[in-house]
Amino acid sequence: MLHESQAASGKFNAGIQMLQYSYRPQFPSTQRTRNDVDQSWIDYLPISERPPLVWPGNARLAVMVCPNVLYYELMPPPDPWINPWARMTPDVMMYGRQEFGSRVGFWRLLSILDKHNVPCTAVLNVAALAKFPEITAAIVERKWDLLGHGMYNTRFICGLGEEEERAYYLDMLRITRELTGIEMRGMGGPGPQAATENTPDLLAETGFLYYADFFHDDQPFPINVKSGRLISMPYSVEVNDVPIFSTAYEGDAFVEIVRRQFDRLYDEGGRVMCITVHPAVIGQAQRAKYIDLALQYVTSFPDVWFATGRQIAEHYMAHHYDIVVEKIRTWRWATR
Amino acid sequence: MGNPMSEYDRAYHEDSMIVRRPPLIWPGGHRVAFSVVVCAEYYELQPPDGAFVPPNVPGGFGRAPYPDVRAFSQREYGNRVGIFRVMEALDKHQIRATAAVDAVIAARYPYLIAQFQKRDWEIAGHGYSLTRVISNRMSEEQERNYIRASLDAVETACGTKANGWHGPEYGESERTPAFLAELGVKYVLDWPNDEQPYLMNTPSGSIVSVPMALELDDVITHYHRRISLARWRQAVAEALDQLLADGDSGGRHLVLALHPWLIGHPHRIGYLEDVLGDARERRDLWITTTGEIADLYLRQLPSGA
Repeated sequence: MLHESQAASGKFNAGIQMLQYSYRPQFPSTQRTRNDVDQSWIDYLPISERPPLVWPGNARLAVMVCPNVLYYELMPPPDPWINPWARMTPDVMMYGRQEFGSRVGFWRLLSILDKHNVPCTAVLNVAALAKFPEITAAIVERKWDLLGHGMYNTRFICGLGEEEERAYYLDMLRITRELTGIEMRGMGGPGPQAATENTPDLLAETGFLYYADFFHDDQPFPINVKSGRLISMPYSVEVNDVPIFSTAYEGDAFVEIVRRQFDRLYDEGGRVMCITVHPAVIGQAQRAKYIDLALQYVTSFPDVWFATGRQIAEHYMAHHYDIVVEKIRTWRWATR
Repeated sequence: MGNPMSEYDRAYHEDSMIVRRPPLIWPGGHRVAFSVVVCAEYYELQPPDGAFVPPNVPGGFGRAPYPDVRAFSQREYGNRVGIFRVMEALDKHQIRATAAVDAVIAARYPYLIAQFQKRDWEIAGHGYSLTRVISNRMSEEQERNYIRASLDAVETACGTKANGWHGPEYGESERTPAFLAELGVKYVLDWPNDEQPYLMNTPSGSIVSVPMALELDDVITHYHRRISLARWRQAVAEALDQLLADGDSGGRHLVLALHPWLIGHPHRIGYLEDVLGDARERRDLWITTTGEIADLYLRQLPSGA
């Protein structure tokens, strides 16, 4: 049965994004088999009660820079849940805006990232590796980490059965390995809706270490899965050029947000700061200098660990996962 | 045309022009009362079938198919991280807030309740969860049970009854104030239609409406409208200036609603500290809680209601 709210949500409201994705007015319900999924995935242990998170070299803060590398199709296969081009078919305006990212924006952004020499974690539609070999070569040459973002940003994973979804992740891993030699360890779902009930279990099973679709924290946190281990990685929907530039904000606001986010987290210590950028957005001529200024700011401080998602995840798994799980087990206020 | 008065209007309060009311006097001769409501709310990944959630409820990228982990977790940030920054900011300026606590938070997060109680915050009911919003879609029986269950959960967790109520997403049916009065709630925060408290008279008794400043609510300013945070600070200050000027003819109030999942982010919290610091510096401000505002108002009613 549909939620009334779901039936009512034909469009969603996020600035210029509204011109792109929309949900189908009457999307089919997705399978529900588990009760209380939210509580079984993440336990409640607020940040105030956690053992201190210590980064390598006693750095105050881990900073993860995430450029998106996306593949949008002009005429994607129809999807029963999400309409990737809400305005019209085809939508060369919105498609062209995205395609600018691979043709121009990526290269402008890359020169700035190179200038600051920060390790990057590409949020990657895996099909982009085959589509844009020059971008793939640039990623491989710089030894970026890869945070999988599905295959295409115009095909989605809602409604996939368990077997299909498992095969999907195995394909992502295999194609990435073949085209880059890189073992992908992170994942976040493609497009606006990101998961099935099986997603965390399947990610852990197929060898992923971290999942970037849980936005609940400034630190990694264990996600409970059937087998193996998986953690959430604080991917940012706040320090992220898409929501920022979907509004009346421009580059100066972006820099101010980065600066304030950094100052606070640096002051608190033991956190992750994620800076998410999209070549189609921040790579615009009028905006590029602002990511330059933002990176200039965050690289001007001592005791900052610029790290990839994989490095952060491996460090957390090795040094903090067990401590946090034990604390959850023994915390007197715990409720399950 | 016969009587043009509509029978389709709200039922429980009178039209009342602020310039025609007897002056309202706040303690210490303060002209404006200021208080803060902090919403502690839970966004269920899996609300029951039939639960109503407005389509534009913030979180994720719109109301997506189940399981929408992005919307769920974006909101959950408030309970795990953001609220501690909000509490620290309020502590720093010695402001006792009202925590609007929903039933899921009350039942699942006793640690948060203890944090509120340690600070002697007032507790208001905040519905069952953010993903179960009251509207006319509920039957009378469903709504009465919903409100009772929400208040019971808060009472069980806190050991005291909640005197105030704020529906999730400001949601009410046409009957809500009557049910709240029936269940012993003293004041309601959902109607952003005034700068003074006023009385709602329902068949089940009266209840005070304490309007909040919707247009300064962090979700409206920073999520729906995305004004700059510096401008928000200025807007709150400008509102207080105007209220102080208007307060010559009787006290007014400003109730600021805060949502830790949003204002509790590292890059936003500094602006909240500034807003609260600005309020602290004003001499003509009575910084208090929503319950005390409702009480003071009630005690000044001619009938002594």
